[in-house]
Amino acid sequence: MRRYGSCLLLVLVGAAVLRISLFSELYLRYVQAGLRPYLVVSGAVLVLLGSAMAVVRRTTHDEDDDHEDHDAHDDHDDHGHHHGPAGPRVAWLLTLPALALLLFPPPALGSYSAGREAAQQAAQGVGSFPALPAGNPVELTLGQFSSRAIYDSGRSLTGRTVRMTGFVTHGDDGTWYLTRLLVTCCAADATTSKVEVRGAADGAPPVDTWVTVTGVWHPKGKLGTDGAWPPVVDASAVRQVKQPADPYEKR
Amino acid sequence: MENQRTVADGLRIVALGVRVLVYVVLGGAALIAIATVASVLGPTLALDLYTPPVAAWWTVFTAVAVQGVPFLLLGTVVSAAIGAFVPERVFTRLLPRSPALAVPVAGVAGVVLPGCECASVPVAGSLMRRGVAPAAALAFLLSAPAINPVVLVATSIAFPGQPKMVLGRLVASLATAVVMGWLWARFGKAEWLRLPKRQAEGAPRGLRAFGAGLQHDFLHAGGFLVLGAAAAATFNIVVPRSVLDLFTGSAWLSVLLLAVLAVVLCVCSEADAFVAASLSGFSPTARLAFMVVGPMVDLKLIALQTGTFGRAFAVRFSSVTWVVAVVSSVLVGWWLL
Repeated sequence: MRRYGSCLLLVLVGAAVLRISLFSELYLRYVQAGLRPYLVVSGAVLVLLGSAMAVVRRTTHDEDDDHEDHDAHDDHDDHGHHHGPAGPRVAWLLTLPALALLLFPPPALGSYSAGREAAQQAAQGVGSFPALPAGNPVELTLGQFSSRAIYDSGRSLTGRTVRMTGFVTHGDDGTWYLTRLLVTCCAADATTSKVEVRGAADGAPPVDTWVTVTGVWHPKGKLGTDGAWPPVVDASAVRQVKQPADPYEKR
Repeated sequence: MENQRTVADGLRIVALGVRVLVYVVLGGAALIAIATVASVLGPTLALDLYTPPVAAWWTVFTAVAVQGVPFLLLGTVVSAAIGAFVPERVFTRLLPRSPALAVPVAGVAGVVLPGCECASVPVAGSLMRRGVAPAAALAFLLSAPAINPVVLVATSIAFPGQPKMVLGRLVASLATAVVMGWLWARFGKAEWLRLPKRQAEGAPRGLRAFGAGLQHDFLHAGGFLVLGAAAAATFNIVVPRSVLDLFTGSAWLSVLLLAVLAVVLCVCSEADAFVAASLSGFSPTARLAFMVVGPMVDLKLIALQTGTFGRAFAVRFSSVTWVVAVVSSVLVGWWLL
């Protein structure tokens, strides 16, 4: 264990990274999609490095024993950095995220994170937007819908039926929102975008349910002001769906 | 003689067998006991403790660690390669001899490492071990995560139509890095730095040294990355974002507040521009301070620097860097924005 500890640790971290990036799409709960190739490469490199170093340690068994004694003496002078052949002790902290990912991958952020963060609007001025893509209903992300609803001087949403997917959060006095978190790099930088849903036949679904809402934009407030936020959709259909593979929206 | 030896050997084997047997029985009994207790108490306890904030903490914690792994690996690969394959003299020949000149050159050289701050710490460490003057290596450490092309492009995407924000970030970050390099050259003390002496003269070179260096550097820095991720996740969950709204009124307070926020949030330098852009209630100078401080001083980075250079260094260096970064972003913001 002492001899192979650090090799084992490398393999463990590599396996955890591969489990979430290569063998499943769980990595989307933590980081954005573009990071996948880098995660796969890093995982593979770590597993290979750990195995290679284990083989090297095995074949150079005796030689290493001499070095270890030598190192042990050196360490007394070098206060900044003492650790023996088992590798740096602080490295064992890596088992924490690695085992968590291997055994119980933490869930995607949901209503809790959305609720405690004052939802922010993207900083941009009022202006015209490119035409909406064809399609009836047209599929939009919550981010696209919000920015068009709040900032589009051309009012391109008028008269279009839109379809959006997100999870449910509740406001005060019975309002409910279709909510999605936006992630740029990793879940630590998540910001919220939400759209108030009105006119759903069955009332508000339970918090954290994933739903697809079809409806039309309900204009409110003056463009580019706080009064226009959060935007409102008049729902014609609310359908319960499974949580999408990528729980976040790309900014 | 021969017989005695075989008897002794036999006894040793028996003794070894008994020892193994004792270990297996004791260890097995302990394992079974632990497993029983855990399987009875575990689920009830876990359900009670696994509240939404705790779940969110775990997610943010793993997210910071997961997204740090590729960049940390890139940094340690570069640093191990420098340690194992680049001869001592190369860097001393490439850089100007006088530290006063070497510092700005090293600062500008930060453009070449396209990574976030996790990558630059191990690289700076290995540059020092290769004989680069600490002042120059530190200028590189600060400038690399802030002014590389990936980060500047991300900044221009986050602030569409505001090229001055990109320019301001470049100028303020470079100025901070160079000033910190010069400050270190003038006032820095060698005994604050505790570099590992692992690769002293006469250390093995080549592929095996590369593997050993990579293994050591990655594990060591990785442990500190986990510490930093835990700190970042804790602040992410404990500090409510609504605190921010209290300070948007005062220009001075808002600069200081965002500079502190950059330290505790630990957003990766490739993403911080988007976070800064979303803080729309703040003045451009305050947002510039957020982007200049973030890649140079944050909890994750302080943990990594403590691991690589020692605590005496990390505390002094980070606090002075924070002050210099705030001053330089205020000056640049006042001039450009």
